[in-house]
Amino acid sequence: MTVRRGKYPGLDPLPPPFAERYPPVAIVEEDSCIACDRCPPVCFFDAIVMEGRPRHKYKRTAVILEENCTGCGLCFEACPVDAIKWIPDKAGLPGPPKLSDSVEDTDL
Amino acid sequence: MVASGPASHDVNQIAAAEEQGAGAVVLKTACSDKYEHMRYWPRPRYKLLDWDKQIAGRSRHFTLYSYEQGYSGTLADYWAFVRACKENAKIPIIGSIFADVAEDWADLAVRVEQSGADAIELDISSPHRPGTLDFEHTFIAAIRAVRKAVKFPVIVKLAAGPDVLQQAVSAQECGADAVTLCNRIRGFDVDIESRRPILHGNFAGVGGPWAKYYTFRHVAEAAQHVKIPISATGGVMTGEDVIKYILLGATTVQILSVIMVNGWESVSKISEEIESYCKRHNVRSLDDIRGEALKHMTPPDNIVRWSGEPKTGPRNVLKTPPGRRT
Repeated sequence: MTVRRGKYPGLDPLPPPFAERYPPVAIVEEDSCIACDRCPPVCFFDAIVMEGRPRHKYKRTAVILEENCTGCGLCFEACPVDAIKWIPDKAGLPGPPKLSDSVEDTDL
Repeated sequence: MVASGPASHDVNQIAAAEEQGAGAVVLKTACSDKYEHMRYWPRPRYKLLDWDKQIAGRSRHFTLYSYEQGYSGTLADYWAFVRACKENAKIPIIGSIFADVAEDWADLAVRVEQSGADAIELDISSPHRPGTLDFEHTFIAAIRAVRKAVKFPVIVKLAAGPDVLQQAVSAQECGADAVTLCNRIRGFDVDIESRRPILHGNFAGVGGPWAKYYTFRHVAEAAQHVKIPISATGGVMTGEDVIKYILLGATTVQILSVIMVNGWESVSKISEEIESYCKRHNVRSLDDIRGEALKHMTPPDNIVRWSGEPKTGPRNVLKTPPGRRT
């Protein structure tokens, strides 16, 4: 039995255009991707697929489908090499705490 | 049943749930216009903690730490959404709403009823809700107002905690037709490297397979004290967990985080596991075993404790009488 995993497919007609309000925030750093196939099944919204790249050491890479990505963050945990990155969204909200801007910036 | 959340935010997901054999779907919670900001979700909004990193439906341990918000569309979208779900699905569709003052609650409930939903769940306990609305004043009035305004079944979703039994009793008194036990609880986590709270920086809902143990207790307690049906939810990973809830007196069981982590296939897998249990134990209907474990609960006063004489508990049974030992 083929199962459509949960996602907001196209979000048409309902609810209103999601991508406009919530542009995707996950991005795959393709150079770091090791084609381990872990992130596609983890994504609840079917927003990650594997694509071929014949010339690279790893023959495939994960790619985020923008129209499905809700920026939920489930995939970050699945990536063993941290190749999935968070890009700050248009609303200007700060991202999750990063190691690089941690201790120096605080008043502790 | 599929619980309210990101797996019931879109019409196509209802079809997926139906295909998998779900008995009903509780739609994503819509907030009144006063909580318009809750239609926007922070990103990222989920983090899997303590995850066993098993994929493709094999995950057994995780904590879903999330700051999920309300339905992302306007209220008009939500009515259309309910209507579309109802048109496309054969299984019951249960609306879910959140507001603050009683008039708003009643107003939303009436619109959900007009849109064709089969029942409504009042999400008075979301771990993501803003502020501190108290049960005694706000929610009692809300349940009463909704009950008065609509004719279809009203379900009240309660959060785990010391008051849950009292709240379930109050909900029954206010005319609720069922209670959902329990919503996820509010938790918090800190990243010790950056010394900051993780994700969005405030409290978040936490849930996971471990959540079933306290929910078992709440369901067992409530089942003995309220007459209205109980919809149990929390930490269900397998059909065995569902059977346990049924044995403790739950009428229906809602699942969600297992769907999010292990995929929609979990729904059919869980129903298969329930069926296989029923075959193994010759159970014709779950009604036959509903609440059975409750009958065998030991009242606190009857619990056998050490009292000087040889214990008769299973671990302390003497194989040979003391006199005959050489």
